[in-house]
Amino acid sequence: MNTSAVAVGEPEVHGLIESKSPSRLAWERFRRDRAAVIATFVVLFFVCIALLAPLVCKVLGINPLTLDRKALNDYGLPNGPFGAISRKHLLGVEPGTGRDILARLIYGARISLLVGFVSTFLTTVIGVVLGIVAGYRRGKVDAVISRFTDLTLAFPSLLLIIALTRPFTQRLESMGVPEGNPARLTYIVLVLSLFGWVYVARIVRGQTLSLREREFVEAARASGAGHWHMVFKELLPNIWAPVIVIISLSLPGYVAVESTLSFLGVGLLPPDASWGVMLGDSVKYYRADPTYLFVPGIALILLVMAFNVMGDGMRDALDPKSDRQQLG
Amino acid sequence: MKHRIIGVLGVALAASLVASACGSSSSSSSDTAASNDTVAAGAADTGTPTTGGTIHILSQLEQITHLDPQRNYTGSDLAFVGSTMQRALTSYAYASGTEGSKLVADLATDTGTPTEGGKVWSFTLRGGATYEDGSEVTCADIAYGVSRVFATDIIVDGPTYAITYLDIPKDADGNSNYPGPYKATADQQALFDKAVACSSDGKTITFNLNRVVADFNYTTTLLAFSPVPKAKDTGEKYDNAPVSSGPYKIKSYEPGKSLVLVRNDKWSKASDPVRHAYVDSYVYEFALDPAVIDERLMADAGDDQYAVSDAGLQPENLQTVFNDDKFKDRRQDSYDPYISFTAFNAKTVSCVEVRRAVYLGLDREALRTAGGGPYTGDFADGFIKPALADDYAPNKMPDGLNKDGTPNIEAAKAALDEAKTKCPDVYAKATGDGLKFFHPDTPTWQKNISIWIESMKAVGIVIKPTAVEPSKYYPTVQNDKTDYDIARGAWGPDWPNASTMIPELFLTSGGFNLTRNGDDPAYKQFETDTKAALNELDRTAQGTKWKALNQFLVNQLWSLPGTFLKAQDIWGSKVGNAYKWASSGSYLFGELYVKQ
Repeated sequence: MNTSAVAVGEPEVHGLIESKSPSRLAWERFRRDRAAVIATFVVLFFVCIALLAPLVCKVLGINPLTLDRKALNDYGLPNGPFGAISRKHLLGVEPGTGRDILARLIYGARISLLVGFVSTFLTTVIGVVLGIVAGYRRGKVDAVISRFTDLTLAFPSLLLIIALTRPFTQRLESMGVPEGNPARLTYIVLVLSLFGWVYVARIVRGQTLSLREREFVEAARASGAGHWHMVFKELLPNIWAPVIVIISLSLPGYVAVESTLSFLGVGLLPPDASWGVMLGDSVKYYRADPTYLFVPGIALILLVMAFNVMGDGMRDALDPKSDRQQLG
Repeated sequence: MKHRIIGVLGVALAASLVASACGSSSSSSSDTAASNDTVAAGAADTGTPTTGGTIHILSQLEQITHLDPQRNYTGSDLAFVGSTMQRALTSYAYASGTEGSKLVADLATDTGTPTEGGKVWSFTLRGGATYEDGSEVTCADIAYGVSRVFATDIIVDGPTYAITYLDIPKDADGNSNYPGPYKATADQQALFDKAVACSSDGKTITFNLNRVVADFNYTTTLLAFSPVPKAKDTGEKYDNAPVSSGPYKIKSYEPGKSLVLVRNDKWSKASDPVRHAYVDSYVYEFALDPAVIDERLMADAGDDQYAVSDAGLQPENLQTVFNDDKFKDRRQDSYDPYISFTAFNAKTVSCVEVRRAVYLGLDREALRTAGGGPYTGDFADGFIKPALADDYAPNKMPDGLNKDGTPNIEAAKAALDEAKTKCPDVYAKATGDGLKFFHPDTPTWQKNISIWIESMKAVGIVIKPTAVEPSKYYPTVQNDKTDYDIARGAWGPDWPNASTMIPELFLTSGGFNLTRNGDDPAYKQFETDTKAALNELDRTAQGTKWKALNQFLVNQLWSLPGTFLKAQDIWGSKVGNAYKWASSGSYLFGELYVKQ
């Protein structure tokens, strides 16, 4: 799956002979995948909204924390059909407090995406480094790292994460991480990374093992290249394609896990919102206020699906052997 | 009233977590505020009861907190265990409405005879009462049961009025010289036997008290005054398999799963003037999700037609149940005995102006709405419910406090400005680092704390929340080492006298004092006045004293009165007698029957 093979092995451009770089070829393939392009726009939309949350909310005149008693009836439930959707509250209000759901959704996207991006970054860095080292050095180093990955995989990670939340966040707080949500988020990101890198490492190790036997690597080795050069100049540039695919597919996974944890009550603390917190709260109201359940649910499905479709599109583009358009 | 209470009743009861150590409460016998204590909407059917069938009790708890009579101290558990398995010397009448707070005799022939002005109480035993093995309940068994209360290392969590009241010498720390029956030497046992004596014919039990207790016969309704046969006592393990003296006995008990009671065929109706025992068996189902409980009761299918819940409806289901006429015969909205409050740590928030600023600026209306609006209850004006008619009088609330519960930001800011000059330290803490607010980590409280943070922000006060695992919440805040500035609680009286409210909540020796007010300059006077009220023999004069103390507490604001709580319930369509018992605020489980 190295890039030179892509360029040489798949002469798919007919007619005018034009030399195209592998990345340009990939980009063209990606652009033809309409679902992936739409998904990319959805992802970009969410990312923009999350980044510009304060601005967006200001423009819309909403705030995720402001209470609105007037939007609630005497039972403390939204005062109106469909969760009291109105011009003031475009997606209705939260039962009990009257806080604007759209504003909470927008601010919640920040948390969800923050956790997703940071966890993905950390797992990728750790996974790529350990994977390459294991694959390149082989022997004892590989044995140690591989056993360690097996061990990590064997942990019932979700259970462990839930059980350790309180002691570990307290530990983090005593180490100087600001109390409350900063500590909680740090904890979530850390444990997600702790258990997430193994998947990256295993794939990277496999890639490296096959790469290091290739002629161009042999050649570099024969010409006396050092370890540093071998890893950074020969191996790393040739495994970025699968790594990008892993990134785009694992990111929605982390977003979903954050929601799961918040749903289970070990995620974010009030008054801040994340989608998982909103979902967890809304489940209670499925009878009295179903709109509240659907809003964060649909947002979560949309984001995770968009990331997945985009990831699939990238894989197809970067790995033409599995190109659906060619196969089909 | 020094004792440990690990009170966790229900994980999400109504608007607040309710502190457990509320044995029974009730409206007063001379109940002028009757309307305040009776059913407000819906009606419990009290038609002609029939015998037979099985009642199911759905619970979110893992188990009955304590089956051991001497350790049982929560309203619902007292009602359940008392009406099915454990008899005591006296009881509240098994009736709905205010009738249910009337004192009646149970194991005794009458409600006790005070002598020496109420310093010595004697009860004549009815006789004929038997345990599940057929052996007779003796006077010695009752005395032995009471003696177990003194074994405070084993018999924990129960009410400790016996230790407070009985005439047994105490050491300098206030601990009794009698260590309970398990460890007592012959000399120590003699101390107890002198205080609690059985007549030679075994027909009369006499309690010698260390002071006049005019309503001691109310104390004896607590199951701490239930008999325990010494030969069957297994100490700590007795909690899982107590010997029954009531109409039912345990068939099987699996904490986390279920408790099944069946008829105790050795119980004779002739010996028991109180209990009717209509149904053949009870199945207590534990560890259910509160949402599932509500759902099952609303659906009313199969066995759930014979089901009740030991906790109220979740706020999110109130509209569904109370807006739909199909539930009108099996729903109820009633006051329960509890008052919710928010306690300040008077050591760290030692400035009454800051406390008043919090009170004035707090959006109490939003908090009430989050709990289900008016169904949460009425805004409390102190620490005595109107149902305690002898002791209740409306208080003069702080100037500027909005009656409708909405915040008065200007008044709050003015109070905070006063604090700036009067107590700059506390002012700086409240507006800078923030006040640490400990709350149970329940869905309800995740919303409530958001309201707190938001409404205090408007005043300029910073709230720093700490969410504590619900089952550990009360042990955490009752631990002197926990450094909270604000904590949340609720409490109900043990019997119709504010003596079980104000001293418990505000004396340093009280069982549930979260205010740490011992060093407050006003405390000494308060303590003197409270002790005077406790020792007042004339009930009317005592009531006047409680009224004054209640007003003092509202001025002092060591604790902010929250809500006179209400509870809403729904039960299966075939359940009869589903009324709320005035003395416990829960169903009178033993009186439920199955409608044919």
